[in-house]
Amino acid sequence: MTSNENLSIKKPLAVELFTKGLSVLIAGVGLAAILMAFYVLMAPLLPETFQHEILLQIGNLYYAAAFLIIGGLALITARGFWRYRNWARVLVLIGLLIFILYYFVTIVFAILTTIFAGLTVVPFAIILRVVGMGLLFFLINAGLPIVIMVLLVKVDQFFIESARQREFVEQTVRYVLLGSALSAVIIVILIFVFTFNEAWESITLVGLDTMLLGTIWRPGSIIGNENPQLGLVPMILGTILSTIGAVVIGVPLSVGTAVLLAEVAPPSVREIFRPAVELLAGIPSVVYGLFGMVVMAPLIRNIDVPRNTGFGLLNASIILAVMIIPTVTSIAEDAIRAVPREYKEGSLALGGTHWQTITRTILPAARSGILAAIILGIGRALGETMAMIMVIGNSIAVPRPLTDNPFTIILNTARTLTGNIAVEINYAAGPHRSALFFTGVLLFLMILIVNSVARLVMRSNKEA
Amino acid sequence: MSVERATFISQEMTAKVKKRNKLSQTIGYIFVWACAIMAIVTVFWIIGYVLSQGLQVIDYEFLFTRPAGGVSGDGGISTTIVSTVYLVVLTLAIATPLGVGAGIYLVEYAGDAVKESKLVAWMVQVARTGVEILAGVPSIVFGLFGFALFVLYMRLGFSLLSASLSGAALILPTIIRTSEEALLTVPRSYREGSLSLGATRWYTVFNVVLPSAMPGIVTGIILSVGRIIAETAIFWVTLGGSFYLPQSIMHSGRSLALHVYMLASETRAFDKAMGTAAILIVTIVVLNLAINLISRRLTAKFSGTR
Repeated sequence: MTSNENLSIKKPLAVELFTKGLSVLIAGVGLAAILMAFYVLMAPLLPETFQHEILLQIGNLYYAAAFLIIGGLALITARGFWRYRNWARVLVLIGLLIFILYYFVTIVFAILTTIFAGLTVVPFAIILRVVGMGLLFFLINAGLPIVIMVLLVKVDQFFIESARQREFVEQTVRYVLLGSALSAVIIVILIFVFTFNEAWESITLVGLDTMLLGTIWRPGSIIGNENPQLGLVPMILGTILSTIGAVVIGVPLSVGTAVLLAEVAPPSVREIFRPAVELLAGIPSVVYGLFGMVVMAPLIRNIDVPRNTGFGLLNASIILAVMIIPTVTSIAEDAIRAVPREYKEGSLALGGTHWQTITRTILPAARSGILAAIILGIGRALGETMAMIMVIGNSIAVPRPLTDNPFTIILNTARTLTGNIAVEINYAAGPHRSALFFTGVLLFLMILIVNSVARLVMRSNKEA
Repeated sequence: MSVERATFISQEMTAKVKKRNKLSQTIGYIFVWACAIMAIVTVFWIIGYVLSQGLQVIDYEFLFTRPAGGVSGDGGISTTIVSTVYLVVLTLAIATPLGVGAGIYLVEYAGDAVKESKLVAWMVQVARTGVEILAGVPSIVFGLFGFALFVLYMRLGFSLLSASLSGAALILPTIIRTSEEALLTVPRSYREGSLSLGATRWYTVFNVVLPSAMPGIVTGIILSVGRIIAETAIFWVTLGGSFYLPQSIMHSGRSLALHVYMLASETRAFDKAMGTAAILIVTIVVLNLAINLISRRLTAKFSGTR
């Protein structure tokens, strides 16, 4: 359909009046903006009496250009609106929405500030008054725009769009959507570029070998020292040891739970257990950390070994184990459920017990899925930060056994790569900060490798 | 050896083997039940402990006054609650359009686009890989990235804006994946019906497909809210940690989770930390319940129409 046919649709007088009136209003706004642009440009030439503080603040080319663009856009929109063009209607809608949102946000900020910002509890009467005043202020400023918006939505049937414009919108939307689809990969690239860029200084200045093989981390020694001591070995060991501990404790628990949920438990038990385990994934890591500090540390301190503080690898491993349970359990359960029914039936038909079927048939068949679950759990453990800072003790020395018994190493304090970043980034500068960024790059690469391995394992499972 | 004798032995052995199998099965069952019960007990131990300790601290004053600052840990948590709300709203405002848009492209457009040109096909592949990689990036690396790009390079400083931009990068893969899944559940016939009536592609997506996929997308958004509320490492590096109420998005703030960390590590006010943690846990439990409710409704709806 062409625009001419559409124009001939009979419109009610009210719609006619509303549209024409609004387009005159928009044109007025546009003209005002253009006048403002000239005024801003001319400001320095004006006599003293016309000078104003605000004018001096905005009296530059950028503001003039901005006013010109806004004015021009408003005039074009006004013309389109006069002629019932749909694109003009959409533009006006967007403009009004921004206007309303601006006032809404301002009011919300103001109200919340009055109620929540103080050191004393604000009386209820004052809260009521503030909320009432705020609402009134909002209605005075945004009431008319809201009414116009509602009317604009109502009159959409009278507005027209040519086939070309529709095609244009289609194409634009397509490219905008493609852009948002690429946003994730753009962020990945930005992450890599920016962390690597910041890490570069330490790589050139300190050297890869020093950082990867050095066992002493003493960032304070950088100042006036020829040999900055920024070795990351203690943190790498801390990360690896705490992760191994988490796997040793957490994986049997998770796989056992997964077997129960997938094979053994009646549906009613599953209904309760599954959401509860999933809840573990949502609990903030600081809460785990707090739990580790307040509950686990005193418990571990009871183990009678000299210099046992309760904080350290054991505490970290236990907390990490709890944190990886939901990841490993849910993926392993899916893997077990994915085993074809025939395998199970075959084993049972040969006279195997349910348990034999599980251990000899189902688990071997789900092996790679369970392996992938474990690897993904390792990835989660490697990246954990806040809980680790709170329970591992953050010592910068290479973890060693506390006594002659080598097992007491788990009671010693350590520091993870993640913790290294989080503890020091807020005050670090120069090569020290750069080395922390290198720690981040290292972590990023480690997790990238771990996750890729997990994905490969999963894929090989699918193909097999 | 006579035949009877052999039969007798084999019967005896079968009985023995059966008994052993039965025993091993019992032991195995006990093991998996023990694992699961330990996991569940851990859940309830943590939640129960934090709630029982924390709820004692929570009162009207705790919720409506700001932290006093310093090492005492005095005061309430009002400003951290408001900061968290600001942070969640701003992060979602950034990540939701991007994530849902990406999901729409990957489900609704990518198929055709791949046929059109090799370049687009390659870009779609790259985009999918990007989502996968992004989903595995540890949060402290997001923090470093936000610190380098937003705080330092773009000079946004320690602010709500820097923190939200970094947080948006964290939740983006979650939103993309959940909206992709939600869009995939919309039956093909819906699209065909709309397209055959002469509606354009975008009109179909926006007015037909998106509304049907809304519950799934909302689930993804609630999931992301949970992640932002729980996130600490990113905000520790990018938000600044001021305990005053942020007056604009360029001001520093402190989220609830960050407040827990700061109380626990810089003060000795473990009771207040527990109170804050209790509020966090209650929020997370409520969000999880909401997700369960929505997904249960969804399954009911889809099994009903089939």
